[in-house]
Amino acid sequence: MKQFRSMTYPYVAWITVMIVVPMLLIVLYAFTQSGNDVLTFRFTFDNFVRFVTDKIFRAVLWRSLYIAFFTTLICVLLGYPIAYAIAHLSEHGETVMILLITMPTWVNMLVRTYAWLGILKDDGVLNAFLGLFGIGPVTMLHTSFAVILGMVYNFIPFMILQIHTSLNKMDKNLLNAAADLGANNVQSFLRVTLPLSLPGVVSGITLVFLPAVSSFFIPKLLGGGQYVLVGNVIESQFLTSGDWNFGSAISMIMAVIIMLSMYFTRKIDVSVASGGKE
Amino acid sequence: MKKAISLLLTAVFLTLALAGCGGGDGSGGGTSESDAAAKYGSAVLKLYLPGEYLGENLISNFEKQFGVKVIVENFDSNEMMYTKLQAGDSYDVLIPSDYMIERLIAGNYLQPLDKSLIPNLGNLAEQVVGLGYDPDGTYSVPYFWGSVGLVYNHNNVDPSVVEAEGWSILRDTDYAGRIYIYDSERDSFMMAFKALGYSMNTSDSGEIEEAYEWLREMNNTMAPIYVTDEVIDSMMNGEMDIAVVYSGDATVILDENEEMSFSMPKEGTNIWCDAMVIPTNAENPKLAHEFINYVLTYDASFDNSSTVGYASPNAEVLKEMSTNTELYAYNEAYLPRSGYDKDEIFHDNVTLQRELSKLWIRVKAEN
Repeated sequence: MKQFRSMTYPYVAWITVMIVVPMLLIVLYAFTQSGNDVLTFRFTFDNFVRFVTDKIFRAVLWRSLYIAFFTTLICVLLGYPIAYAIAHLSEHGETVMILLITMPTWVNMLVRTYAWLGILKDDGVLNAFLGLFGIGPVTMLHTSFAVILGMVYNFIPFMILQIHTSLNKMDKNLLNAAADLGANNVQSFLRVTLPLSLPGVVSGITLVFLPAVSSFFIPKLLGGGQYVLVGNVIESQFLTSGDWNFGSAISMIMAVIIMLSMYFTRKIDVSVASGGKE
Repeated sequence: MKKAISLLLTAVFLTLALAGCGGGDGSGGGTSESDAAAKYGSAVLKLYLPGEYLGENLISNFEKQFGVKVIVENFDSNEMMYTKLQAGDSYDVLIPSDYMIERLIAGNYLQPLDKSLIPNLGNLAEQVVGLGYDPDGTYSVPYFWGSVGLVYNHNNVDPSVVEAEGWSILRDTDYAGRIYIYDSERDSFMMAFKALGYSMNTSDSGEIEEAYEWLREMNNTMAPIYVTDEVIDSMMNGEMDIAVVYSGDATVILDENEEMSFSMPKEGTNIWCDAMVIPTNAENPKLAHEFINYVLTYDASFDNSSTVGYASPNAEVLKEMSTNTELYAYNEAYLPRSGYDKDEIFHDNVTLQRELSKLWIRVKAEN
């Protein structure tokens, strides 16, 4: 096996250069003051203190988590039934449905989000439709509804695909066995299907929550710049404020929050899965 | 059958060969690419400018007339262009804004122009000559210029109120929830400084603090929507009543939607100018001069200004566009105000810009 191990060196080198070094740079920036020379660093916690003690930035962080949480929740609630229905289609129908769900992701995300501007605006497609029933026009653009809608729309394919995969891997004989032992449909779903599909739900949650909490152009476009999220603050620190140290510190805070939430989601996964086996 | 195929192939090769000669052969007065290469050193010009900033036929006409090939690249912001130059990318002609030209001159990125190669400099309108960022025109030749003002729907907003209140209308709660603000720290702080009667180039911390409070109150009482280029489409559709818009974009909006009017606030505004410059590392400076000279001709300037909507630096074109009733004689956004003592040009100040950017994200984040 040794000869195979040496074949991984290029990948290790690649990961080091493209992932590890940039991460270390962010950590370095986060803990130093701006205006450093190349070789002298002045270490400080100021960047973190500045973020945590600032009322406005705390509100931004809270808003980001809140919007990402609701996005993820809606994705689970909508994505699970869709994935479940797809898994119960004929093989042909399944292929077609999966194709239909992945197809929008072939188009650039920015373009798709732009399209929502035309759909949601006051004299847009959706309001024209509502107008047929004498409703509206309802202001939808530049509200938190638009931001969450944009995120759910963009990220739900990841949720559906993850859940669908774990449902598909499930051994159908388990359901027959459950029925044989006298479980009705609801019981066999709750005690067999659901626990076995949880790993898919958990990885779906991770795949949706991560981009949702750090997204910056969806709130910018659909929120009309009024829904400033952490991603927007980080973006401005790097692009216009030139404060890389503060931007790095915020990025690190976000990384820690994300790692913690992933850790707890996995814990839930493990405890529920093992509970199902007993 | 064989004959037909070989005939077809010959036709294809001939077309390719002709196309390879820059397509100049059919136009009569044109020169071939090899002639151009002999004259300028190379027959290729690399142009780097903002998006949607060229007349319809400007490039193809220039290519035909001089037998050259132009490679056009677009940038989203002056800052992005600056980063690429710093990285060592080479272009023959750049079209940055006034303050960025100051920064480029200070950083020795630009070469002085050889004015003997640009005889059409005499065509420049007096309003764009001698502006503060390059007073003697040593490094730059104006390309487009304009102002920043308010586009408003005159059916919903009384023009006399707009004139009377100026920038302060953006804090008049009668219009809350009906305004678009241009999402840039530079333009937003400009309005606030002007509304308060200060210079937009101030670095006085007390004045900055006051402007910050001015913008905070606007954000917290007016529920403004922050937009960038979407503002053009949205105002054409009349989605809001008041918007902060660059004059050239306003020209296009007014042209499409008759309910819209334009006002340059009495407290003064930003008069800006984007200009053509040649970087020191340009590979084909001779052709770059030729291009600059070409842009200043009546036909090229007319093409530019009528396509894009911004004010022309060419005196004749400017006069024609702003007086011909078939063109923009009734479009008050086209011709920027000049000689008004409260209007200012933006000067380069990186520290100030960063400071304002930090405050601007705080203004928007408060909700």
